[in-house]
Amino acid sequence: MSDARRIIRQALTIGVLSVLVAAAVHFPLVNRFVRGEFRETFFSRADYPGIRLITLQEAEDLWAAGETVFFDARGAGPYGEGHVPRARNLPEAESRQMLPADVLKLLRERALVVYCEGGDCQSSLLLAKRLHDEGFKDIRVMTGGWEEWKKAGLPEDRGDDQE
Amino acid sequence: MIKNKTLLVLFRLVLGGLFVYAGVVKALDPLDFAQNIRNYDIVGQSLSFIAAVVLPWLEILAGLALAAGVWKRASALVISGLLVFFIVLTLVTIVRGLDVDCGCFGAFGREAGLGVILEDLGMLYLGLCILLAPKKRSR
Repeated sequence: MSDARRIIRQALTIGVLSVLVAAAVHFPLVNRFVRGEFRETFFSRADYPGIRLITLQEAEDLWAAGETVFFDARGAGPYGEGHVPRARNLPEAESRQMLPADVLKLLRERALVVYCEGGDCQSSLLLAKRLHDEGFKDIRVMTGGWEEWKKAGLPEDRGDDQE
Repeated sequence: MIKNKTLLVLFRLVLGGLFVYAGVVKALDPLDFAQNIRNYDIVGQSLSFIAAVVLPWLEILAGLALAAGVWKRASALVISGLLVFFIVLTLVTIVRGLDVDCGCFGAFGREAGLGVILEDLGMLYLGLCILLAPKKRSR
């Protein structure tokens, strides 16, 4: 009986240690969570069936095929310094005003890829949700973002937004 | 009940190694894993985040302990408990008809279906063998 107790106590210790290690290793993320971030980041597949997260490889294949419209969710500054060629700049904060209705209508039939800086950036996911609310049916989020694209040595453009 | 020591050590290394690997790939991208958890549509935003941060480390520490032979039964208990939870979760997901990536091994994840349950049952067998192995005599 005391054996069982010891095992349970040790198992609980493993649990407590996991919480402590997780909090220490992911301290920056946990800190952002405590400050109120990540409360609207993750979406339910039932609410957003048209959004999928994709890897860099998938994004590169879609880009190479040329059929997909890429959206850069970062601000105009970072976009100007470097972005995925042919990607439109659509800062998440301004996304409601940026695209005229006829462009929205034109793009509605096409698959979209959205990205932001990379790492733990949230704007691509928020933009994806907003575009989904606008009626887009096929939105892929390149989770590695610009950082991963650039690191892989893939083509890049500089300068202002282009059609 | 398996008594062969070599076999039990092999079970510990395999199961512990698998859990360490599964934990590391999730811990490398906790936000991606949080989205995976959210896809199951069982817990909300905050719990998805908390689980995504803690669960990988539970897998890593329990896996390391098991592979290293430290607190063997306790780590086997944690891992077996997690596996039972994953099996029930996958069953519920199948019954609800959700098309969800299991999130099991990061990029090597696949749809939460019968294959995942069989895989988990196989690992649960290893875990239970270790948990219920005869106690070694003190002299």
